[in-house]
Amino acid sequence: MTTTVLVHPDTNSTRPPAGIELRRVVKRYGSQPALRALDLEIRDGEFFCLLGPSGCGKTTTLNLIGGFVAPTEGEIWIRSRRIDTLPPHKRPVNTVFQSYALFPHMSVRENVRFGLKMDRVSRSESTPRVEEALRLVGLEDFGDRMPAQLSGGQQQRVAVARALVKRPAVLLLDEPLGALDLKLRQRLQIELAQIHRDVGTTFVYVTHDQEEAMSMADRIAVMNDGRIEQLGTPEEIYRRPTSRFVADFIGDSNFFDATVASDVAELADGSRVPCAGGSGAATLMVRPESIRLAGSEGALAGRVVQTSFLGSYVRVAVETACAEAPVIVALHDATSVPSIGEPVELSWAAGDGIVLEPGT
Amino acid sequence: MTASTATVPRRAILPRLGAGLVSYAGFIPAIVLLGLFFLVPLGIIVCYSFWETIDYSVVHHWTSDNYHYFFSVTAYVSTMWATLWVAVLSTALAIGLAFPFAYWLSRYVPKRLRTPLLVLVIVPFWSSYLLRVYSWLTILGEKGVLNRFLEWAGITSHPLSVFLYDRPAVILVLVYLYFPFGALTLYSSIERFDWNQLRAAMDLGASPLQAIFRILVPQIRPGIITAIIFVFIPILGEYLTPQIVGGTGGVMIGNLIVNFFQEAEYTRGAAVSLLVAAFIVVLLVVFRRSLSAKEAYGA
Repeated sequence: MTTTVLVHPDTNSTRPPAGIELRRVVKRYGSQPALRALDLEIRDGEFFCLLGPSGCGKTTTLNLIGGFVAPTEGEIWIRSRRIDTLPPHKRPVNTVFQSYALFPHMSVRENVRFGLKMDRVSRSESTPRVEEALRLVGLEDFGDRMPAQLSGGQQQRVAVARALVKRPAVLLLDEPLGALDLKLRQRLQIELAQIHRDVGTTFVYVTHDQEEAMSMADRIAVMNDGRIEQLGTPEEIYRRPTSRFVADFIGDSNFFDATVASDVAELADGSRVPCAGGSGAATLMVRPESIRLAGSEGALAGRVVQTSFLGSYVRVAVETACAEAPVIVALHDATSVPSIGEPVELSWAAGDGIVLEPGT
Repeated sequence: MTASTATVPRRAILPRLGAGLVSYAGFIPAIVLLGLFFLVPLGIIVCYSFWETIDYSVVHHWTSDNYHYFFSVTAYVSTMWATLWVAVLSTALAIGLAFPFAYWLSRYVPKRLRTPLLVLVIVPFWSSYLLRVYSWLTILGEKGVLNRFLEWAGITSHPLSVFLYDRPAVILVLVYLYFPFGALTLYSSIERFDWNQLRAAMDLGASPLQAIFRILVPQIRPGIITAIIFVFIPILGEYLTPQIVGGTGGVMIGNLIVNFFQEAEYTRGAAVSLLVAAFIVVLLVVFRRSLSAKEAYGA
């Protein structure tokens, strides 16, 4: 299941030191494991997403890096420096909290200045840095406001500016857009990605929203049950999921029980469909947009039970003999939508038939 | 308030005034009660303090001699200062103990255990005030629990009388008596605090103590000031505690007032009472200022 095999920098000296490195980190609450021997390497300057359902260990991982939770076992390193023994205020890490946790008794400017004040940065040096941070998040005219006088999106930006003004090696973001509505969230996703490019700091972003992760991250670690299920770029994770959990969690997918041999999968009803690799009993996964509604080599017969117009595409549900749930097909060409009850033939390219958890 | 009424057109005010009077009817019992049992006696005391006592009877002859007399007797003035520092110290100790308690209760104690613990704080109020003070005699006295323990432990060979009848005993008992007021007031304001802010402060480089004093304390200022008012002002007027456990060394201004009245020096007693009352009024005004100035940020 766990597919992450990482090379430590000390075993390969030609590589630059990792931004963050977790080595065999275990976290147990009582006897309850929250993280099971996590190995993770996050590159310096990358926008890294920890993605997974609630309780998967993503927030625990973030808190371990931030220092709010101590690991039961293992080590955490940032830029070749061990930090898991340091208290939060001594780590080169700053956090954007889900609730923002702005200080309500201080103005926006004082909020942003707070971290520099704690570091005893002189006023003459901190003032330009505070203004620069406010400019970075587009709040240069809001310095004198109180947090309660700002909208949710603005408060979120103050939280980002407050953390970034300290120029941390790593910025941790704990579902920072969770409390905002969809439109604002999408706008701030773009802004956060821009801010990341501007400052070049390593971002570690925790979310349960796959779309959010896909839209911003350089790489994503999909987590489940205290483990990393898969780690890769958004495209790799979408196109080549290595487990049913990942395929199910990221995007829409169709699953079939199959017996696989030499790039052909035999389904429950005896249909033979194309797939890539694997052998023996396995789960076959096909993305809705990979399926074509046309009879061709290796076709699967079915009957249309529902068509839904969803704006940019038409979703067609097709009942087949080989899967309990209807097969979902996404048609981007709205000119050839079949009618309900019409028999159709489903086909896809061999590379789009992804074999998961082969029985080997 | 005044700004909003000023913008209301004049015509609208008059009918509203009539309706307003009716809606104030509910205050009448309270106004009568306060008037009869507070304002009228207060007026009498003010008059007394400017009259004279001659041969145990009050003469209606206007003078400020009572005030001059109080400040001319060194023992009285030093008792006044002693009262002030005993009150300041007891308040500081009571609040100093109450703050960690309230902090611990609202941050670390699970919700279901908080109410029982708060009830435990209040339990002493179920017994009489006098009893609570007297019980300290059985702890600190020469045959008290403390002395017996010290003898049993072999630390002393004979009972010590140093624990009672001086300022330390007074301060100890006052702290014990007023701790619950501080704890309850502070708890109710700390309880609403968003603890993520302390995490954020530490994340930004504050040490735990810095986080508490720069983030938590400024935000619960109204609670702290209320707690100080609830503890400091009653202590200022205390006379039973110093009387029972303070002996001659622990006299406070409340005891002076009682003495004056017992010796039929009504006018001098009235003057000292008013001095204390005036001091408290000034204190409340100062506290109120600092409260409203800080309330501005609230939303």
